[in-house]
Amino acid sequence: MQKIPLALAFEGMILAQEIKNPDNPEGPPLCGKGVVLSSSLIERLNKIGVQSITVEGHPVKIEGEKTLDEELSSLDYRFRKVKDDPSMKILREIYRVQIIKAKN
Amino acid sequence: MVNKVNEIKRIVQDTKSLPTLPGIVLKISKLAEDDKSSVNEIARLISSDHILSAKVLKLVNSPFYGFSGRVSTISNALILLGVNVIRSLALSSSIFEIMEKSVVGLWEHSFGAAVAANTIAKILQLPDAEEISTAALLHDIGKAIIKIKLEEDYNQLISIIKEKDISMIDAEHEFLGTGHPEIGEWIARTWFLPEKLIEPIACHHNVKKSVIHKTKTAAVHLADILVKASGFGFSGDDIVPRIQTEAWDKLDLNEKILEEIVQETEDRLIEAKNFSLEIQTSGEKQS
Repeated sequence: MQKIPLALAFEGMILAQEIKNPDNPEGPPLCGKGVVLSSSLIERLNKIGVQSITVEGHPVKIEGEKTLDEELSSLDYRFRKVKDDPSMKILREIYRVQIIKAKN
Repeated sequence: MVNKVNEIKRIVQDTKSLPTLPGIVLKISKLAEDDKSSVNEIARLISSDHILSAKVLKLVNSPFYGFSGRVSTISNALILLGVNVIRSLALSSSIFEIMEKSVVGLWEHSFGAAVAANTIAKILQLPDAEEISTAALLHDIGKAIIKIKLEEDYNQLISIIKEKDISMIDAEHEFLGTGHPEIGEWIARTWFLPEKLIEPIACHHNVKKSVIHKTKTAAVHLADILVKASGFGFSGDDIVPRIQTEAWDKLDLNEKILEEIVQETEDRLIEAKNFSLEIQTSGEKQS
């Protein structure tokens, strides 16, 4: 499954998770799991203010999307000035786990 | 160097209005015309843009409205000023033309920081969550001033950063003799913003310096670091700074809480990216 911004959703995608109402996240979902997206549904979700959806598969190749290795080396690069700081080591590890999770 | 600092101070005092992304202005205008839209919807939209938030807060805190130094949230500002004032404020700002795509990175960084700050405030159950997000949205307003009003200096700073592999703030001190937190503080003071917004802007790179609003400052400091760690937006350099001990202690952080904050922030940054794309697309459609 892939979580994508609604702006990148297109007809035919299948919802892998239900969509919550942004104004009432505790209330009944707007749309159930397994629903196939139509253009009118996407438009309606947009009007309601839904920002992102989770769909089946990995249908969107986001421009400039990096591979896992590229993501991890960018992370190390961003942390290059603080690599010996104990609390920053903890933080970098948290991000590392997040990146790996998001790619699988 | 002293001349440079004086020049920046003069520019700040002359700054009557700052640019904002055109897409957002269009959206506000549409919302304001729609009878069905609520104050909260408009407040949410304005809160997503640091320049526009700054404008609204500046106006509502100006002596003209008689709330000097007391209004620090967008929703209160909207209720006090009225939707129409906000709409004309948005429409009349003629600065769209000078807005370039290059500001998008800084805008995303500021918006991302506000998202992170809001998550931090929520998870740590800090009081004044909306003010903390607003402060985070405005924390790099000093950089926006450098970028917009001193374009050549800004480009020079970017070259120094690349050449020496140093952070934006170090480059600013080396080249301008002052930094964006100070510049941001001058602007915030010129606009009569409340102290609880000024301190996080002025001290987000030096939490120790904060006196009254240390918790808010610490939250903004952490939010800035998380957005940079995430690689979201572009704040001028790609160096993640260290979480200062004062901030770590003040927020009573530990590994488990930090993990929860990062997870939730990362989730919400996907939505922030969506919003950013949407604003950029509607900006393109408009022009």
